[in-house]
Amino acid sequence: MTATRTGTERAGALAAAVALTALPSIGHRRVRRLLTGRAPEDAWALATSGHPDGLAAALGSRDGLGELAARWASSAAVVDEVLERCRATGVSVALHPSVTSALPAGEAVDVEVPYPARLVGDPDPPAVLFVQGPAADLDGPAVAIVGTRRCTGAGAGTARELGRELAAAGVRVVSGLALGIDGAAHRGVRDARQAHPDAAPPVAVVGSGHDVVYPRRNRDLWTWAADDGLLLSEAPPGCRPSAWRFPARNRLIAGLADLVIVVESHAAGGSMHTVAEAIARGIDVMAVPGSVRLSAAAGSNQLLAEGCPPVRDADDVLVALGLVAGRRQAGAETRPAPGPAAAAVLEAFEWEPVTLEHLAVRTGLPLPQLAVALEELLAAGWVQLDGGWYERRAAP
Amino acid sequence: MLGIVPSATLLGADGHPVTVEVHITTGTLPGFTVVGLPDASCREARDRVRAAIQVSGLQWPNAKVTVNLAPPTVRKVGSGLDLALAVAVLLASGQLEPQQVAGLSFLGELGLDGTVRPVAGTVCMTEALGTGPLVLPAASAEEAAVIGGRVLHPVTTLAEVVACARGEEPWPLPSPHRELPDPPALPDLADVRGQPVARYALEVAAAGGHHLLMLGPPGGGKTMLAARLPSLLPPLTPQQALETTRIHSAAGIGLPPGGLVRQPPFRAPHHGASSVALVGGGAPHMRPGEISAAHHGVLFLDELAEFTPHVLDALRQPLEEGMVRVARAAATVTFPARFLLVAAMNPCPCGYGGQPGGCRCTEGARVRYQRRLSGPLLDRFDLRIEVQRPSAHDLFGPPTGEPSAAVAERVRAARERAEARGVPCNAALPASQLDELAPLDPAATDLLLGALAAGRLSARGLHRVRRVARTVADLSGGPPVLTRAHVATALSLRVDGAALGIPVQALAG
Repeated sequence: MTATRTGTERAGALAAAVALTALPSIGHRRVRRLLTGRAPEDAWALATSGHPDGLAAALGSRDGLGELAARWASSAAVVDEVLERCRATGVSVALHPSVTSALPAGEAVDVEVPYPARLVGDPDPPAVLFVQGPAADLDGPAVAIVGTRRCTGAGAGTARELGRELAAAGVRVVSGLALGIDGAAHRGVRDARQAHPDAAPPVAVVGSGHDVVYPRRNRDLWTWAADDGLLLSEAPPGCRPSAWRFPARNRLIAGLADLVIVVESHAAGGSMHTVAEAIARGIDVMAVPGSVRLSAAAGSNQLLAEGCPPVRDADDVLVALGLVAGRRQAGAETRPAPGPAAAAVLEAFEWEPVTLEHLAVRTGLPLPQLAVALEELLAAGWVQLDGGWYERRAAP
Repeated sequence: MLGIVPSATLLGADGHPVTVEVHITTGTLPGFTVVGLPDASCREARDRVRAAIQVSGLQWPNAKVTVNLAPPTVRKVGSGLDLALAVAVLLASGQLEPQQVAGLSFLGELGLDGTVRPVAGTVCMTEALGTGPLVLPAASAEEAAVIGGRVLHPVTTLAEVVACARGEEPWPLPSPHRELPDPPALPDLADVRGQPVARYALEVAAAGGHHLLMLGPPGGGKTMLAARLPSLLPPLTPQQALETTRIHSAAGIGLPPGGLVRQPPFRAPHHGASSVALVGGGAPHMRPGEISAAHHGVLFLDELAEFTPHVLDALRQPLEEGMVRVARAAATVTFPARFLLVAAMNPCPCGYGGQPGGCRCTEGARVRYQRRLSGPLLDRFDLRIEVQRPSAHDLFGPPTGEPSAAVAERVRAARERAEARGVPCNAALPASQLDELAPLDPAATDLLLGALAAGRLSARGLHRVRRVARTVADLSGGPPVLTRAHVATALSLRVDGAALGIPVQALAG
């Protein structure tokens, strides 16, 4: 009887801790402050008491607390259903050790899973983390691949290639499932998993609830990452993707990795924020060089100028991780070699997106000859087309 | 106490003969009534005509004046009946004798000081008035002379008309026939530096009658390029010149010296244009719109995505049929509208979205922007090219390109080849005859099959590419069978609709 009662008590305390994350407008810092030095039930009672004064003492700030206290008090019912919602969406809960120690002793509740070891000592750890997939997926070397959503086709290609080769070499790829570079890196991991079952699984950190797919265009990746690897979020199931959650998500991407690689980044943006979080944690940052004329590579090139080591291929990353390079399997070039005219056109690309007009001016070729050469390059896969822009994909 | 004078009125781009009948009766209260479907501006004629008669030293009858405008089924609009009305009043009041104006028709508006002023649509109304002598404003004489075979008496004041009618002066005649002055020079393609692809696309558009869409950031020279297209088109034939002149006259657009529009017109309405301004209509006399003003010429729509969507959709019928029917409760008129459509737009609101990785817009803003354009309209553009800002190197480096005259010569030869196939230009080739008129060699077929398989082309896009390839071949001497080079060129001048958020399937619709 005692064991059952402690089990129920533990579940109640767990529900209180988890319910805190489901309150409106609550970030990870407020959740942590409420749980610090309090039993979860007490933290929950305080949060939903409706008294701004008690909250102000716990949160260390009074700004807008009156309204917030009222909104939180009206959300008190969430505690009764929050664990049920996790079970329904197949999501488990990991509590930071400082919170777990405040729970009543007893067997772990069915939705409880171990907290990722990498985040235990993080300077800004999540008190409550929602998890889909085996925590063992985090054991072993891990690299974050990040970059802009507004990337070039070449940048996406590089990210995919790095993702594929690093996963094949047994390195976990951590990323955020965003459009552009993030998604491309995990598509590479998926390629590797399909080719070799022993390739490393994906680790994805997202900014919304596990059942709220964002961006919807990456739904396939989202489902696959949850099934085949590890999908992490600080947001409880059902939580919408608010803009403020993404910078918070970026610190987890940095905190989970041994190394952060920026493939393409504009001068400002989410990936530069991830870089700042990595530097704050003493995690190394590397960057892929891009054309100096490309706005999409301005940020990553700036990192190189500031002294980040460059990434030319997956070997550079493996060496930086202290792993043996050359374990990756270099795919043999399967594209047919371009003819002399097509090869000359390919040279005129200079590794940046160009229009037909640029190529016509650079090569001086009449349009019919240029068009025939481009069709040959497109058909063979040396070049790809995005609207009116041509991009070179590989060197012969 | 009756005066009858022939004149004409304008509806749409057509003149209609009108007989102005004036009856004056004494024995009732003095007054003035107009009957016979006049509009408000016709009724205002009373005040202008009375003032003009009085300041010309003539008498306004102190009696009941009834004006009938026959036939009563045609709506009479505007001030062009003023002069005829004044003459009819003078006849009815006995100040002129019927035999003094027998056989003459009158057109023109009167000023309060008795001057005779020009009216819009002189060409169309002159045409409607038959071959008898016509008294008309001196300022409109050149315009009316475009319609030959009539005696014209250009006059400047009502007093002059009366003096001539009474035989005190001879009827004035237009200045003797002189050679039409050379039309003003059109903007020349030689002004464009670099941009070989855009130049070539203009050449193909002119030769094949293919509509052209230019994509790219502001400052790429899209407007400059479009304005040079008329100089590549063949000059208008006499028949085409007359059709276009008639529309410009009806729309009140200033006609060139000599009165005849002999060069392909270039119309560039601002994106704030309403659908009435663009396709025509509106009270009271159903004015032709910009698309008709561009008849046999070029319609340039800059900032295409900024036009109201329903305004753009109104272009679809004219693009298909070469004319537009404007139906209103009062009347239905048909305007010819066979034009070459050239449009320019940014790929997204920030203008830099064409270059991969260059866009600064949010996803939602991009989608909203692209949703303003319908797939069926974009599908009308056989040629879709990316126009970037030329670099400083391009501006100073390459020599000045070919002048328009050299390109126009190739365009003329290519159009002759198309006419030999029984169509005015290759864009009008029927799909059913493409196999016969635009046969493909095996390498060209392979290329098209590959583009279809890769999803770059829809079935309908395939026909359009073949037509453009036919034009490309015609410009290079006109071999009967299309080769890989012709088809590759046509494909390269057709930016994938997917770049504009339009899937290939939607473009097929």
